[in-house]
Amino acid sequence: MDESQLIARVRAGDSAAERALYDTHVDRVYRLAFRLAGDDALAQDFTQETFIRAFDRLGSFRGDAAFSTWLHTITTTVVLNGLRKVKRFRQREADIDDAHDIGTPQRHAEPDLKVRLKQAIDDLPEGYRTVFLMHDVEGYTHEEIGAALGVETGTSKAQLSRARAKLRVALSDFAGEWVQ
Amino acid sequence: MMQEHEDPKFEQWLKAAAKSYHAPRPTPREEMWTRIEDARRNKHVVELRPWMRWAVAAAAVLILGIGIGRWTARQPVATVATADSTAPAQSDLGYQIAATQYLSHTEAFLTSFRSDVGLHRGENSVRFARQARDLLSTTRLMLDSPAGKDQRLRSLLEDLELVLVQISQLDPAHGAHDTDLITQGMNQSNVLPKLRSAIPAGPVPVRTEGAL
Repeated sequence: MDESQLIARVRAGDSAAERALYDTHVDRVYRLAFRLAGDDALAQDFTQETFIRAFDRLGSFRGDAAFSTWLHTITTTVVLNGLRKVKRFRQREADIDDAHDIGTPQRHAEPDLKVRLKQAIDDLPEGYRTVFLMHDVEGYTHEEIGAALGVETGTSKAQLSRARAKLRVALSDFAGEWVQ
Repeated sequence: MMQEHEDPKFEQWLKAAAKSYHAPRPTPREEMWTRIEDARRNKHVVELRPWMRWAVAAAAVLILGIGIGRWTARQPVATVATADSTAPAQSDLGYQIAATQYLSHTEAFLTSFRSDVGLHRGENSVRFARQARDLLSTTRLMLDSPAGKDQRLRSLLEDLELVLVQISQLDPAHGAHDTDLITQGMNQSNVLPKLRSAIPAGPVPVRTEGAL
């Protein structure tokens, strides 16, 4: 059964087809949510919210683009909005929130590459960080990223280039690692 | 200095190094599917047809009107004193409505905490801590608002503040012991029954929407 038939069955109320559609896409949605959020509970929340919205709005999916593109548009919207709320909330509650570290930069200097890389990625502007993680880490194409984020393909390419340039500067201490 | 030109060696190195950034664990597909099904099932129960939404909205306005009427009728001093004193009274009513919604959210949260915190303890601790912090900020706003002038409500808000602070600081590593202490404390202080009795009877159309 191809995906359009599966979607037609979901629209007709077939719960087995819902589960099959979920199984087909859940890994990629969860992985993206986790990469962006860096927290399992948040990634699960965002993944659940993505599928709940997708099933509720499946009637509005016209099939002009691939279902995965449509689903990843919902994913990025849910995750980025959710992370903004978390960030606002954390700023408000800074007095009781010392122990947690979800997507927020660590300010103390560490010589370790992993820590420095994490800090450098966390410090990227939201748009650069999203494109970088989608393209270089999760393997999305610029066309998929453009469709998911509602930007031109050229914008996605430009943001990736700027993200890499910023990371190169931030990680210049480790230049020996790649200049060999 | 920032370099805009391509550097294949750096890009290749960066791609490999960045795989460790927020590396996901295996997808917990069954757990998430169960929650998606539950959420959709519950949503279907309360999902209203367009004409029903209008009916509910009309009923809510009617109930609110009756509530305002009864409340103002019980406040003869405020209504007959001076023109200046009526403005704060109306504003207090706004805070009381906000307080009712907040108390409904908190009741749903604490009920859920008590029943669910033992399941998937580590993950739930993180989630509950997050939600508790959100409610805690509202609790403190309530304490500083005119709603906090009511001694009975103030005492309840202070009890809730204590419980929410404890939940907000839950450490998944010591979850079992901490949650037992919190639930024991809740039982001893009778905070849930007090909370339920403080919530006015009758429908509150948006009582838990968006809280959990």
